[in-house]
Amino acid sequence: MQEVVLAASLLAIALVVVAFVKVLRELGPGERRWSGPEQLSRLRGRILWLSMIAGAALALLTLLPWPHAVPTGPAVVSVAVRASMWAWELDPTRVPVGVPVVFHATSGDVNHGFGVFDPSGKLLFQTQAMPGWVNKVAWTFTEPGRYRVLCLEYCGLVHHGMMAELEVLPRS
Amino acid sequence: MTPLAAAVRAAPILEPTRLALVSGGLVFLLMMTLGLLMKATQAGFLPLEPRAFYEVMTAHGIGMVGTAGLTGVAVLWHFLGRYVELDERVFWAFLASFLSGVVLILGAVFVGGFAAAWTFLYPLPAISGGVWAPETAVVYLAGLALVGTGFLLLHLECARALRARWGGLAHALGWPLLFRGAQDPLPPPAVVAAAAVTVFNLLGLVVGAAVIAISILDIVIPAASLDPLLAKNMIYFFGHVFINATIYMAVIAVYEIIPEYTGRPWTTSRIFVAAWSVLLLFVMAVYPHHLLQDTVMPAWTLAVGQILSYGTAVPLVAVTTLGLLSQLHRSGARLDLPAALLVLGVGGWTAGVMPAWIDGIVAVNKVMHNTLWVPGHFHMYLILGQVAFVWAVLLRLARGRDERGLSASDGIVFWLYLLGGAGLALGFLIAGAASVPRRWAVHDPAWIVHDVPGVLFAVMVLAGAAGFFAKAVPGLLARGAAQARG
Repeated sequence: MQEVVLAASLLAIALVVVAFVKVLRELGPGERRWSGPEQLSRLRGRILWLSMIAGAALALLTLLPWPHAVPTGPAVVSVAVRASMWAWELDPTRVPVGVPVVFHATSGDVNHGFGVFDPSGKLLFQTQAMPGWVNKVAWTFTEPGRYRVLCLEYCGLVHHGMMAELEVLPRS
Repeated sequence: MTPLAAAVRAAPILEPTRLALVSGGLVFLLMMTLGLLMKATQAGFLPLEPRAFYEVMTAHGIGMVGTAGLTGVAVLWHFLGRYVELDERVFWAFLASFLSGVVLILGAVFVGGFAAAWTFLYPLPAISGGVWAPETAVVYLAGLALVGTGFLLLHLECARALRARWGGLAHALGWPLLFRGAQDPLPPPAVVAAAAVTVFNLLGLVVGAAVIAISILDIVIPAASLDPLLAKNMIYFFGHVFINATIYMAVIAVYEIIPEYTGRPWTTSRIFVAAWSVLLLFVMAVYPHHLLQDTVMPAWTLAVGQILSYGTAVPLVAVTTLGLLSQLHRSGARLDLPAALLVLGVGGWTAGVMPAWIDGIVAVNKVMHNTLWVPGHFHMYLILGQVAFVWAVLLRLARGRDERGLSASDGIVFWLYLLGGAGLALGFLIAGAASVPRRWAVHDPAWIVHDVPGVLFAVMVLAGAAGFFAKAVPGLLARGAAQARG
């Protein structure tokens, strides 16, 4: 996911740069009659229509199914996550591979960010751990191993030291 | 007019907007230095302790946001003053309130050790884990309230002046043109933009004032607790609207200055009015994209946050970006340093919006939120956008228009700033894509590879910015002295 997002963003930025460079290379000599407003009107119209169609398609593709949907049923494993300055409590700390796991995250003091990283250090998913509320996030681990939990919402002096481990067990 | 007031009026360096821009430029340099300190610490070049790091981080954040606000309203006031009668005493009152707040904020951070980040996310200011006293948090929040009061006063004066000149904010927004197809006289683009910003920033400031007041009450009367989710909504509404307002105020300089170089009028069209009206609504409605990882929020609010993240980019590109490119294309314009910075500002802003709206997609946000991706996009549209606009206006006021275009030394500082800013922002984006968390005082050894180039790029930005400042201030002083003499 991250690689695709980076590539898409760099492409969009590159398009902006190309448009500016092209216009700046064609600054002069000045035209006697400025046809800008008519050209601009046509270009704007095309861009507006195109961006509305692209936006609608993007919304449908990325919002359906709802990204925060949480599965239910007997096969689902639940993990209670409680954050407090500056430690994580996970119950249980071991989950099976290949089974939907739903994390129920809350906090005993301030806002924290429950971020789960795979053994290579890549962020897989996150949710906020907030006092008085329980946010749910679901994930199905595909590889066994030791996953790190880091805090992703600034929470004070030892924010960077707020870590825990989650073990994903292979199928027995 | 008293002799002192006459002397102040005669010296442009002491005109309130120029004073705000010069002091804002100086504070930008100081805040960039704090940013460099943080990057150097993460890269392992400096032994800044976490406590000091988080204090510096809080000062850098609030300093940059506050200074973007200060310089943004200075640009707004300067150009709006061409079309409406503004009471200069209000700007002085704004400056007094702003500076009083700054004193309290600096005291809270560097004397009291307050380090809850500029966003003061409830209830962190009150619950510090024993790092700072609750009274310190009250001082910080009171400082914010004073700064906010200054902005409130200033926007109320803008609203009064716009109503007095155009007969109502709806007319200043160009709504008769939008809904009836004609308006006479037409409000110029600067007035339409100023009216829109005035409306949404006033609403944002009122919500900000409410959450600050409740946060203070919560510390003073612990029984009066606030719902953390409601507080988060209010803080992000205020924060999002405010930081966006700083850019939308500064962009007025583009509408006002660029036509002087191209010889082509930047007129108010129906699409221009429609874009700013849509923006007025979207800027306020889009804030849930800061809460995409709070799954307890109603799903429709998060979906709206995602859709409007994309939607707010469209009017920007349709009106300001395409408008600028159309102004420039085959215009024969010879761009000097201020004009080049205005063009850079629109380009940097537009480019920075791209990774920002992509981060507003719920599924993307799940792996990008609160990584260095976030400072990646906001450093792009602030360093290469809002702050570039401010340097442009400062240099333009100091040096006027240079028919010869960019000199060699102008080119050096311009490219230092552009390449440094682009390198720094892209480095943040790449680190974010590599899952490096934001706001960490200590970085894993594996992440340092992203920090080392960032130090070099931060030095380049700082050198470029110092160059702009050094080029502007002597000009402002000389012009002030000349005008005072004669």
